[in-house]
Amino acid sequence: MFVAKDLAPLVPELFVAVSAMVLLLYGVFAKGNPTRTVVWASVLVLVVALVLVWQVPAGRQAVLSGMFVTDSFTAVMKSLVLIGSAVSLVLSVGFIRQEEMERFEFPVLLLLATVGMMMMVSANDLISLYVGLELQSLALYVVAAFRRDSERSTEAGLKYFVLGALSSGMLLYGASLIYGFAGSTNFTDLAKLFAGGHGHVSVGLVVGIVFLAAGLAFKVSAVPFHMWTPDVYEGAPTAVTAFFASAPKVAAMALFVRAIISPFGALVAEWQQIIILLAGASMLLGAFAAIWQKNIKRLMAYSSIGHVGFALVGLAAGTSEGVRGVVVYMAVYLAMTLGTFACILAMRQKNGLVEGIDDLAGLARTQPGMAFALAVFMFSLAGVPPLAGFFGKFYVFMAAINAKLYVLSVIGVLSSVVGAFYYLRIVKIMYFDAPGEPFLHPMPRELGVVAAVASLFTLLFVVFPMPILNGAAMAAKALFP
Amino acid sequence: MTIFHLIVFLPLLGAIVAGLFGRAIGDRAAMAATCVPMVIAAVLSWVGFYLIVHGGPVLVPLFTWIDSGSFEVSWALKVDQLTAVMLVVVNTVSAVVHVYSIGYMAEDPHKPRFFAYLSLFTFAMLMLVTSDNFVQLYFGWEGVGLCSYLLIGFWYERPSANAAAIKAFVVNRVGDFGFALGIMGIFLVFGSVSFDTVFQAAPTQVGKTIHFLGYDFDVLTTLCLLLFLGAMGKSAQLGLHTWLPDAMEGPTPVSALIHAATMVTAGVFMVARCSPLFEYAPTALAVVGVVGASTAIFAATVGLVQNDIKRVIAYSTCSQLGYMFFAAGMSAYPAAIFHLFTHAFFKALLFLGAGSVIHAMHHEQDMRNMGGLAKHIKITYVLMWIGSLALAGLPFFSGYFSKDMILEAAFGAHSTVGGYAFVLGMLAAVLTAFYSWRLLFMTFHGPRHEAHGHDAHGHDAHHEPHESPQVMLIPLYVLALGALFAGVVFAPMMIGEHMHEFWGKSILILENHTAMEAAHHVPLWVKLLPIGAGLLGIFVAFQMYIRKPGSGAALAKVNPGLYQFLLHKWYFDELYDLIFVRPAKWLGYKLWKEGDGRVIDGMGPDNIALRVAQLAKRAAGLQSGYLFHYAFAMLAGVAILVTYYFTTMMGH
Amino acid sequence: MIVQAIAFYLFAAVTVGSAFLVITAKNPVHSVLFLILAFFNAAALFVLMGAEFIAMILVIVYVGAVAVLFLFVVMMLDINFVELRQGFQQYLPFGLLIGAILLVELILILAGSIAAPDALAPAASPAPSLDQVTNTHALGAVLYTKYIYLFQGAGLVLLVAMIGAIVLTHRKREGVKKQDSFAQFARRREEAVELKKVEPGQGIQ
Repeated sequence: MFVAKDLAPLVPELFVAVSAMVLLLYGVFAKGNPTRTVVWASVLVLVVALVLVWQVPAGRQAVLSGMFVTDSFTAVMKSLVLIGSAVSLVLSVGFIRQEEMERFEFPVLLLLATVGMMMMVSANDLISLYVGLELQSLALYVVAAFRRDSERSTEAGLKYFVLGALSSGMLLYGASLIYGFAGSTNFTDLAKLFAGGHGHVSVGLVVGIVFLAAGLAFKVSAVPFHMWTPDVYEGAPTAVTAFFASAPKVAAMALFVRAIISPFGALVAEWQQIIILLAGASMLLGAFAAIWQKNIKRLMAYSSIGHVGFALVGLAAGTSEGVRGVVVYMAVYLAMTLGTFACILAMRQKNGLVEGIDDLAGLARTQPGMAFALAVFMFSLAGVPPLAGFFGKFYVFMAAINAKLYVLSVIGVLSSVVGAFYYLRIVKIMYFDAPGEPFLHPMPRELGVVAAVASLFTLLFVVFPMPILNGAAMAAKALFP
Repeated sequence: MTIFHLIVFLPLLGAIVAGLFGRAIGDRAAMAATCVPMVIAAVLSWVGFYLIVHGGPVLVPLFTWIDSGSFEVSWALKVDQLTAVMLVVVNTVSAVVHVYSIGYMAEDPHKPRFFAYLSLFTFAMLMLVTSDNFVQLYFGWEGVGLCSYLLIGFWYERPSANAAAIKAFVVNRVGDFGFALGIMGIFLVFGSVSFDTVFQAAPTQVGKTIHFLGYDFDVLTTLCLLLFLGAMGKSAQLGLHTWLPDAMEGPTPVSALIHAATMVTAGVFMVARCSPLFEYAPTALAVVGVVGASTAIFAATVGLVQNDIKRVIAYSTCSQLGYMFFAAGMSAYPAAIFHLFTHAFFKALLFLGAGSVIHAMHHEQDMRNMGGLAKHIKITYVLMWIGSLALAGLPFFSGYFSKDMILEAAFGAHSTVGGYAFVLGMLAAVLTAFYSWRLLFMTFHGPRHEAHGHDAHGHDAHHEPHESPQVMLIPLYVLALGALFAGVVFAPMMIGEHMHEFWGKSILILENHTAMEAAHHVPLWVKLLPIGAGLLGIFVAFQMYIRKPGSGAALAKVNPGLYQFLLHKWYFDELYDLIFVRPAKWLGYKLWKEGDGRVIDGMGPDNIALRVAQLAKRAAGLQSGYLFHYAFAMLAGVAILVTYYFTTMMGH
Repeated sequence: MIVQAIAFYLFAAVTVGSAFLVITAKNPVHSVLFLILAFFNAAALFVLMGAEFIAMILVIVYVGAVAVLFLFVVMMLDINFVELRQGFQQYLPFGLLIGAILLVELILILAGSIAAPDALAPAASPAPSLDQVTNTHALGAVLYTKYIYLFQGAGLVLLVAMIGAIVLTHRKREGVKKQDSFAQFARRREEAVELKKVEPGQGIQ
């Protein structure tokens, strides 16, 4: 039974969902092409939702039969998700117009995907986890194939869909094993069951966790469940790739953390090894496979695989400090990624968008501002101090070392050294190679603003780190009552 | 929101507006956006000075910066009397220089960038003087260094400007390295970087030693010497001074602001700020005194023979900074800061006056090509006289009060170092007067020496020198007021009987360090001698350049060795080139070609890079593009994970 | 009791057998038909468990709609599955190996659960006992109350699926006549019908 006050924590999700439907109806019945209006209205909806997220009743609230939970962790992660979605929408404005994707369903699908992500972040039950995940994934499959006349785009959508279905299968298999061996799907009940180390931990349960983790690893694109990422990132329209790399990554990582820590926090010893394997393999692959890439979107795909590996190092620690590291990492990653994609979306020549890394040659001479911003992001992605990316890595590695995960830390440091190579190569190409055909000048205003804000964040994190660190610490504390 | 927020952040606001939007809003708006906040900040800092002097120090917390374990650093504005004086100096000179630059840089195409740098520099300098902990101090310290680098290399098309900028940066690195080590050492010893905590705990560390590399070092002496190394770099003291004359490649307003009035005095400020540490480290104080006195005389001798008008003033600055340091070395911190205060006015006046001359001569800086300018630019001429009189320490000009006080304190210290400083300081005073009037006479008197074929300006080759516009002259009037009256008005407060009430707790002088007290009771001849020294210098200059022009050249011919020695600045640059630069280059070349290229690259990176490249190809090759390969990889992955668990779980 | 056991093993065996044939049959139409057989048997298993509502849903939705749709698609697209299955031999050993490993492990897990029956203890049934209410009633009682969140979430998923299907397939084509019900309703007799007087032997001009 539920009553109206049960809905209070749900207000942001309800607001976004209802707005999405209203905008859908508006789009169907509006005269002319309503896409621009719908896009900016969607951005507004997301901003309002961002405010609403912080208006829900404070403290931990588990409502609707304990399936939906809000606490400071959900507030922080939902804020990141909403910022990611809103900024990706802003980034897509020019792109969808120029690439003949200007259809109002695009922003509506992104809104519904965002609802799914918020449900994922707030999931407190294996079933609500699955429903949120599917809502998000389904919308993502569609937007990946949104340019239906482009073979690359449809191929990306189809690959993502088929592999996504496989991963959902694994996830469900794991969930059913967990239900079968523990007798509950509710995170709170599961946590009670294992609290204090008593309760029977059977092989079946652990195998269930393995399957569950495999399904989640697919969503965050951790090795070896990452194979879709490079193809989908490259094939999907660039604005969609920007979206994929930002909000869903954050949401999936939040879900991963919550689904592992919240019910199985007491079983660290059982699941730590999976996360360590995933994290180590992701960091190494992200570092090595990106070296020969010529397409910048594909490079960003490998980069995101690597970064997920780094973030998972924090989860592998299994401590409050580690989760704080994950949250900081995702916040920093979000800013760097969105900024980078703002620059990638501005790589437009007379004949359209280009995606080759070589096309950036000599950018410092033709567009010093954009080259500087991109250089800042590359240095930050490489983890060069004192940029934000360094601090992201710093906090997860600190947590890992405090949790005595020395081998993993060493692998992480080594792979960030290798990874620095391809980030710095881009800087070298921009600053020292002879310019090729210049990009259209100046970069569109919304892209410029996003790139400028993101690079300021990256540069100034060292000066004002406390808001993010405190928010992350608060979020992490919520998972360790 | 207090007045001090405004004082510190208005320049930053101007820098942001002009720096980020300069191109969008245009030159005029960018200049207004920096100059107006700067002038407001300058006026407010005088108000703040009044508030602090009458209301006592304040601490304005901003926010927590780093909070990591036991290492906690907050941003805060610590405004005590010492800071209030510095705020007045920095903001006044900066405001004056901003306004002056409107005229001086009128033809420069990159005005927004210039003004943004100027304002940014001012902000960094304000952060430095308002810091309440060593880390914030270091932030400001590096910030002013960065802005100085940017401004010296402002005309980046000139190779010499780039070289000078790099030189300034590298030489300062040497000092900053010591400074950073000092700060780390302070955290190590005191467990805190906050000024208040460290200074309170300083007496407890007296006599303790630190064991390092088999030797025992006195803790406070070591820390103070490391900090002083930073001050030497920033304030161009003997040994690390070589960057300052070269820094004159920057635009003249920059020289006035950074390399005369503010940044180079940061070292003096820092020593005064750390007086509670230095007071307990007598050895370090002695080093400060000796280095300061040596710099004073060294720079004065070099200044005698320079022909570039700005370089003469640069060496003069170097020399005056030496005075400040040896005053600090005598524990006469108030005298040092007071000299800093008066010096800011008259040295900025001299620099900006020289800028006015250069402007009149269409960017000619060589004094040998000048002469007879007095009748063309009368106002500048008068202003330069005021500045020179103040610099030479003639009675009732501001320099008289501060310089006399320093020399008297050196005498009153009654120590070997004090005697050394007193004698050298007195000699340097003669030389100072000499080169100042040499500058005046060569520039403004005598026949006009036309520059031939020299026309960097792009105008017609021959036309008359012209007086500067009002926008450049009004700032000069303001500074001239300071040069005339800053001494007589503020001397009683800052170094007179009310000294102790004025400085309060911002400066610590131990009971047994009595130089400052003794300075008030020195014999009459000590008080008169500096005036005599100044007059003597002027007289000799008059003899050599007005009565018998050419006798200077003759003197140089008679003593070619000495002349060359001075002209080459005691061969410091050549020496450094021989000792550091060339061996470093040789070593670097060898390490690069032999060590790095053959040994390390051959075995390490190249080899590893090759392996990495191969691995990378394989890793990328996994991505076949076939869907079933991907699905297969996922299933294999899950199977591996499950099997791993199965085997480990079955084990126990 | 014994009848029930025999029925279970029969249906279960047919389900597994036909599922195997779905992936091995050469003719895709046969595959779909085996899939329908598998669905029927699964429905029968549900009936055996007393879940007749789900059994009927399975038959109506999966057999009646989904599988038939599959059949249409397979027939219309005329995909050559033989071609697609090239290379199957090549990967078979690896596939079999991994499949076998997983199978063995899963069997061992289930065996483990039998060895530790107390593992199932916390499982609690959310619905009332079946001998008190009907299947449909029990489902309805929880679906709109306890599981309203999931129900609404699933609704959103379906909405996205619908939007996606339209976005990816719907095209406005020129020259296609569509039914416009508003225009139909708005049309009056005078516009649609014209009365002509036809003279005998002359026709209409």
